[in-house]
Amino acid sequence: MPDTNQVTASNGEPIIICRDVNKWFGEFHVLRDISVDVAQQEVVVVIGPSGSGKSTFIRCINRLEEHQAGQIIVDGIELGNDVRNIAAIRREIGMVFQQFNLFPHKTVLENITLAPTKVRGWPREKAEAKAKELLERVGIPEQAAKYPGQLSGGQQQRVAIARALAMEPKIMLFDEPTSALDPEMIKEVLDVMKELARSGMTMLVVTHEMGFAREVADRILFFDQGRIVEQGTPTYFFESAQHPRTKLFLSQIL
Amino acid sequence: MTTLNDSRNLPQAEPVVNFDEPPVKPPPLLAVGPLAWVQKNLFSTPLDALLTIVGVTLVIGAITGFLGWAIGQANWLAINFNLRLFFLGRFEPEAEWRVTLLVLLVAFTIGLSFAAWARLTRGVMLVLVLLVALTFGLPPLFRAALPVPATYVAAGEVGIASGADTITPQPQLAFIARAGETVTVRLADSFSGDDASLSGLSGFADDAANQLRNAAARRLETSARIDEITRLLAGDLLTSNQRAQLEEDLAELSVPDAITDTYALNDASVQVRILRGTTGEEIGAATLEGSTASLSVTLPEDGWYILDKGVDGGAGNALLRADGVFPLLERTVTRAADEAGTGRSGSIAQYARLTDSFTTEEVRPTADGRNLPMATIIDTQLRGTRSFSEYLSLFVAPFLGQVNTAVLALVVAMFAGYFGGQALDRMRSPANAPRRASGRLVAWLWIVLPVLMFVFVYGLGSILPLTDTRRWGGLMLTIMLAAVGIIASFPLGVLLALGRRSSLPIVSLFSTLYIEFVRGVPLITVLFMAQLLVPLVNPTLAELPNVFRAMIGIILFSAAYLAENVRGGLQSIPPGQEEAARALGLNGLQVTLQITLPQALRAVLPALVGQFISLFKDTSLVAIVGLLDFSAMGELIVTQTEFLGLRREVYIFLIVFYFAFTYSIASVSRRIEASGAGKALARKI
Repeated sequence: MPDTNQVTASNGEPIIICRDVNKWFGEFHVLRDISVDVAQQEVVVVIGPSGSGKSTFIRCINRLEEHQAGQIIVDGIELGNDVRNIAAIRREIGMVFQQFNLFPHKTVLENITLAPTKVRGWPREKAEAKAKELLERVGIPEQAAKYPGQLSGGQQQRVAIARALAMEPKIMLFDEPTSALDPEMIKEVLDVMKELARSGMTMLVVTHEMGFAREVADRILFFDQGRIVEQGTPTYFFESAQHPRTKLFLSQIL
Repeated sequence: MTTLNDSRNLPQAEPVVNFDEPPVKPPPLLAVGPLAWVQKNLFSTPLDALLTIVGVTLVIGAITGFLGWAIGQANWLAINFNLRLFFLGRFEPEAEWRVTLLVLLVAFTIGLSFAAWARLTRGVMLVLVLLVALTFGLPPLFRAALPVPATYVAAGEVGIASGADTITPQPQLAFIARAGETVTVRLADSFSGDDASLSGLSGFADDAANQLRNAAARRLETSARIDEITRLLAGDLLTSNQRAQLEEDLAELSVPDAITDTYALNDASVQVRILRGTTGEEIGAATLEGSTASLSVTLPEDGWYILDKGVDGGAGNALLRADGVFPLLERTVTRAADEAGTGRSGSIAQYARLTDSFTTEEVRPTADGRNLPMATIIDTQLRGTRSFSEYLSLFVAPFLGQVNTAVLALVVAMFAGYFGGQALDRMRSPANAPRRASGRLVAWLWIVLPVLMFVFVYGLGSILPLTDTRRWGGLMLTIMLAAVGIIASFPLGVLLALGRRSSLPIVSLFSTLYIEFVRGVPLITVLFMAQLLVPLVNPTLAELPNVFRAMIGIILFSAAYLAENVRGGLQSIPPGQEEAARALGLNGLQVTLQITLPQALRAVLPALVGQFISLFKDTSLVAIVGLLDFSAMGELIVTQTEFLGLRREVYIFLIVFYFAFTYSIASVSRRIEASGAGKALARKI
């Protein structure tokens, strides 16, 4: 049984390094001594029961949540209270949310070009060209002029992915990207994510899609009660998991 | 396959596969036509039918009652005569062109807005053109075809008594008229010998003629009361107490002789003369006897004339009908010495005729060093009920005659904006955004207009001389106060809303305290405090005109309410919006300006518009710090002796304008709500 609290990446340089990360919501200890490294181009899937801290964990990586103890180093920059560091790290990390969080008052094209023009300072022509290329990539080039409210859930989530990719991030965080979708739309989103993984993007994915985890993940982290209970390759995880909590979880969902 | 022990004993579901494609059909036409609509919407249940009938009856009753009053009895002269006061207050006439230019620019911008954001249908344009045509065409038509109410004056030396007052007719009456007009004086024959028709006298009547009318009415009342008591006493329904009381009443009453007989109305012949006001020269004279005789004089020039009348023998009175003699109003105007070549300067008296816009500054005639009595609107008032045609000729025609040039200019400016915008788009807008050029121009205009408004009305250094803010008033002041209040309080309110949500405790505390404090006190006190406190805050501001202090008060007050509305909007934005924006790397300011604030403002647009509408109306409170805004101006006008008692008419005029403005604001906001992402947002998330 591998040591769950001391793991180094199997291949490549680590781009995310977490050391003894702790976080509390009031008195509630939501993350307990999380230590994990993510290598470049690695796809890490985080699974676990509700309230296990998996979403909080990936939200700490781009500082949507603040960790209170431990170290998080992304792309060589340590996350602290320095606003410039936070801004620098957020430029390199794209994030996709369960509720899409598209900006409803802006068209699809404006949603995608907003950050490149405002944060990266790209000229509008360059941002729009990039946006159109990304919409092509996620399969909805014809929706550029529409407002998010006029799209289906699956289309909205694909726009959200395109929006995150427009910043040309080194890392993509996915926080349950398919949980709010109808079953028929889940596949179209997962297909985009698979294509992204194959292209070499470093990805950290919180999901309940076991099929996706099995097919795409390089490594699976299993969270329970704020700690990483067990981790390993999909094959190991689904076929020879050791920890009784993991076994119980797997027996309930499979 | 059943794994549970199923005791329900249901039949097995038969598999059914449907490969048919039913055709797509339009919905059935169940109920069409107006009758079906009425049946469905107005009379669907007995209660519904009852409510419909009651509602319709009430509405019809209210409308007919109002129209009956507005046409038959209301005296709209207070409006016709004070349009400038209502719209501009006492604004310097020298700077009036600036306001005119500004208003035309606004009309132009409105036209341009239609070109950029909407469309004017052919029907609307036709209505506008027709409106202009009517304002020009109707007044001369009415004046030519419809009678103006007659003017009645009494003559004779016998005092006419009615109640406690006795009034003796004036021997001479001064009036103003234009060259070429005809004055016709004859005996008002239909009233002689008939108190009933005398009491129903309707038209302009001088005090003595009105006294005759009142005396006749009083006599008829007394006579009717006696008849009623006699009828009651003849019956047997009364108790002895009641009977005694009535008999006592009857003993006190006596029917006087007919008024027409008492004053020997029109029995003797009447000497009438028309004199030139300045020289006293006689330009016409006649002895009127019997109903056919009349004196008809065509007047040689503009100015004052005197109607001189006397009853032969001095034993009786006469009631004359003097067509062409109309009531007039005296007012004071300021004239520079060199103007008009009159050689007079400073405040001089101007006389204006009530039935049209004729004015004269000729000196009022005197006799033996004393001013002659004039046909002022105080003692030559409009009495009785009027016909619809008199309403048109007396009120509608002069009103249209006063506003027609303004209406024409506004419509032309608006069309210029509309067609100019379309022409601009044809030349400059790209094919994929056919209204971009006009849209940009109109956005700039709307941003620049408030600044222009202030500069034009107030002035700018040496380029445009400053105007006297104490003379600002009327609708112009109301719009200035509301526009400045809305525009300036908006950024302040947004800042306060953001401040209240700030994570910095000092900012948040200050914003909260400010908002709660200002919301906790009435606007009146804020206005007062702005008057009193502003000089204390900074002594150099003691010179700040009253109007600007009131503006500061309104801005500070409005900002607090606006802040709470905006804060409500900010709270309605899901936290995911800010998270997504932050995750993309936007900084705090960008998140607010690009993401949360635009959505928040859109979400609370109806509330904001509601607040702006109430701000527009609340500006009327500035009256308490001595400013004469639109409604205060109305109140001022009805306190003038000439227009005493016309408060209803004036307030209806105010209501029409307030409503027109607030309704326009509301319609524009409905358009904004429905525009752009509005439809998508309505279904959002």
